[in-house]
Amino acid sequence: MRRTIVPATILTLLIVAIQLEILSSLRFAGVVVMLVWLWPVAMGLAGYTGLAMWVALVGGVLFDTHATTPFGLTAIVAMIFAYGASLLGREGVGDLDSAAIWVTPSLATIAGFFAPLVYTFGGVFVFNFELWRGSLGAMMLVNAVAFFVLARPVTRLARTVGSVGERVRR
Amino acid sequence: MATDRTRRRALFAGAALSVVIVVLYSTGGVFSGLRSAANTVVNPFSWSVNEVARPIGHFFAGAVNYGDVVAQNQKLRYELGEAELKSNEEWSFERQLEQISTRLDVPFVGSLPTVAAQVTTLSPTNFAATIDIDRGRNQGILEGMPVVANGGLIGSVLSTTPNGATVRLISDTSSIIGVTFGKGTTDLLLSGRGVNNGLSATSIPLSTSLSPGTLLATDGLEGGLFPAGLPVARVSKVTLTPGAATYNLTLEPTADLRHISYVDVVLWEPST
Repeated sequence: MRRTIVPATILTLLIVAIQLEILSSLRFAGVVVMLVWLWPVAMGLAGYTGLAMWVALVGGVLFDTHATTPFGLTAIVAMIFAYGASLLGREGVGDLDSAAIWVTPSLATIAGFFAPLVYTFGGVFVFNFELWRGSLGAMMLVNAVAFFVLARPVTRLARTVGSVGERVRR
Repeated sequence: MATDRTRRRALFAGAALSVVIVVLYSTGGVFSGLRSAANTVVNPFSWSVNEVARPIGHFFAGAVNYGDVVAQNQKLRYELGEAELKSNEEWSFERQLEQISTRLDVPFVGSLPTVAAQVTTLSPTNFAATIDIDRGRNQGILEGMPVVANGGLIGSVLSTTPNGATVRLISDTSSIIGVTFGKGTTDLLLSGRGVNNGLSATSIPLSTSLSPGTLLATDGLEGGLFPAGLPVARVSKVTLTPGAATYNLTLEPTADLRHISYVDVVLWEPST
């Protein structure tokens, strides 16, 4: 993990920049696609638990510093889903080569669907009771569809980054 | 076994860090420093992405939406002409209102100085309706100042930096605005309903005569967050629940909150 942490961190910074500069303007049905959540999920599905947690934390914290929503909540949600995805990834469930073509996108879709919901509930723990008043349904649907579409390329990217350390070891 | 231990260690480290983050959030000063540090880290990447993505985006947007752009231009020219006409007509009314407001010692927005600013970024999240602008403390902008654009109130300044500020839009779920209408005898509280959902007002007494199309403007009550007379929204729907003694309003903001490029910050501080 030590060898992969630098490229993974740099790529995470780039993903946060894409999230802030492109995806915040490019809205679908008024909804922002949360690439900062998909990236750690993909890293988890690729089977890299520690790395998935790291990119979830870094990406989430950096994103949260640019938003007016409760600080740290995006990071926490990202870490929950990254950990869940990595449990499956470790078992090879989300593996791009051995699993059926629809498995990785389907798992990412579940994450995309439930992440805004978990975020909204998470708001209660930081005493923010206003989050549920937004377009929660639209957020869940748009992110689910976007995660389905983007899951395979992003997981492939995650696997490439994660395998850097393995190649160096060999 | 070792894998399980690593996994558990990662989970516990994550949970501990999450707690630290929440604690940092509750201590404002530390958070502010962390925010500027994070901005410094992300800025070079944001700048690079922006420099690459913007020309490509403009190229495709121009190619695909050329017809729309021409039509929009024609429409804007027509609206500009109408606005100029209306402005000339309203000038005399405005002067009268200003004189009356001065006599009554009520702040009137027409007489307040403003600072023009460009919108730099939209809210990066679905859970908050905010925009960032390119003017801040160095230009006299302070927290709480009202922000107007596109023909109405769009929000208030939430936080400032030396050369930038974050504006909370009126559609944000934590936004509440005191408004009045007609002769100004009734005051209502409007609340934001999220990024895409505009505004609403609930539990309006049946004795209040509101109909679709009614314009609501800030009430300017003493101790309020906005000066009097800023147009906020028009009533688009009045919903009466059978058997209830009150009704609910669905409102359309007078300013188009989806297409904001330039704003005016009204240099008016809410009284404490």
